[in-house]
Amino acid sequence: MNGIGKSMVNGSKPLIPQGEELARPPTRLMVLISIVAAFMLTLLPWPKAALWLVPDLGLLVLVYWNIHAPRLAALGAAFALGLAMDATHGLLLGLHALSYCVVTFLVLMLRRRLAFFTLKGQAAHLAPLFPLQEALVLLLGLAYGHSQVDWRYLAAGIVTAALWVPACLVLDRLTGRPARLDKVTGG
Amino acid sequence: MSPATQAPLFVREMGLTTRFGLYLLVCLILMAVDSRYSAMSVVRTGINAVVHPAQQVLVWPFEFLADAGGFFTVHNDLVRERDRLLQERGQLRARLQEYQALKSENDRLHTLAGLPPAPGLHRVQAEIIRADQDPFTRKVIVNRGSLHGVVAGRPVIDELGLIGQVTQVFPASSEVTLLTDHNQSAPVQAKRNGMRILVSGMGSDSLLEVRYLDLHADLKPGDILLTSGLDGIYPAGIPVARVLQIELPRHNPFARAICQPLGGVGQHRHVVILMPEKRA
Repeated sequence: MNGIGKSMVNGSKPLIPQGEELARPPTRLMVLISIVAAFMLTLLPWPKAALWLVPDLGLLVLVYWNIHAPRLAALGAAFALGLAMDATHGLLLGLHALSYCVVTFLVLMLRRRLAFFTLKGQAAHLAPLFPLQEALVLLLGLAYGHSQVDWRYLAAGIVTAALWVPACLVLDRLTGRPARLDKVTGG
Repeated sequence: MSPATQAPLFVREMGLTTRFGLYLLVCLILMAVDSRYSAMSVVRTGINAVVHPAQQVLVWPFEFLADAGGFFTVHNDLVRERDRLLQERGQLRARLQEYQALKSENDRLHTLAGLPPAPGLHRVQAEIIRADQDPFTRKVIVNRGSLHGVVAGRPVIDELGLIGQVTQVFPASSEVTLLTDHNQSAPVQAKRNGMRILVSGMGSDSLLEVRYLDLHADLKPGDILLTSGLDGIYPAGIPVARVLQIELPRHNPFARAICQPLGGVGQHRHVVILMPEKRA
């Protein structure tokens, strides 16, 4: 648990990779499969009355990889996932692509800062992004000529935000990352 | 460690902000093109052709479970249901004879009046396979597409009444915009006095409205509205809605009528797409 703290001398970076870096590095295939699987989960036959509550699992996994493997999943992945989303749901092409790009951009900006926080702290940083993404989609839809919007869909963003912590734990387990340190990891 | 996961020693690529700006620009252009021109429908159909089979595979276990539940139905229930259906079929047959008599009489009157006979309809049975997560329009996806001869623009009904219109056709599925969608409307006629009005969706799942109703129009709660057949899309005489209440004008010179759709809009699993009958 205090492995990192011990090996740090006067706060300088250890020579040998520790903890997270030592874990199996994420591969392109792993990233691709997890994002596609999460996206497919959202396409399951959810009950029609609760469609506005269905969380955006694809985005969740995308943000996870934005944080842990930004060289494998960044703006390009966000754009592609967004296009797939728009095409399958019959929405204006580019609507989700744009909002995902915005979220990814913000996450990449926040990334360095997030490293200093525990899982809960990270969740607090990321929570506003998911409703923001939904709001962006709804507003862009309005701007591009839809006359009416179902504002209940904002709730999906809140559900997605609430799922961040469990999703992180599940993805950590699936991708073989070491368990997270619950205490603040120096800096 | 694969080279892709390693940060390069010298950064020789665009900055994050620049790349972000470029992606934003591409998205905005894409949306503009998609909303103005129909050029993107090819892309859409292509992606849908890939995703649709995958979705079918995903849905399959759920359908299997539902079917497995049906396997254990009690024999007694089946017999009772069969009796009920037989009875219903008898009644429908009798009604059908009446209908055929009326139709031939109607055709005769048409020829007497020198009018072309009313076009027949060809019915395509379809099943609702999913509702889409779309905050802007109310629509469902049915499992019949261009392979089955479905064409965009055709009316969709269920056993009770009109439910919507086919708006997009894919190879093996098509998208039906429901009558309750805000931008959807149908020309109707009051059954009682033949008054012609336009009924539209109001963005609620269970209500329709007549938006611009004359203050003195003779429309009462309880009136049944049928399609008038004036637009050439919806054939005449399909039940659409029942008037619930008339709202007197407050801020504008028109009254408004709130109606309840008669068809189970998107509730029933089986629907029928009405196609024009092919003439030899």
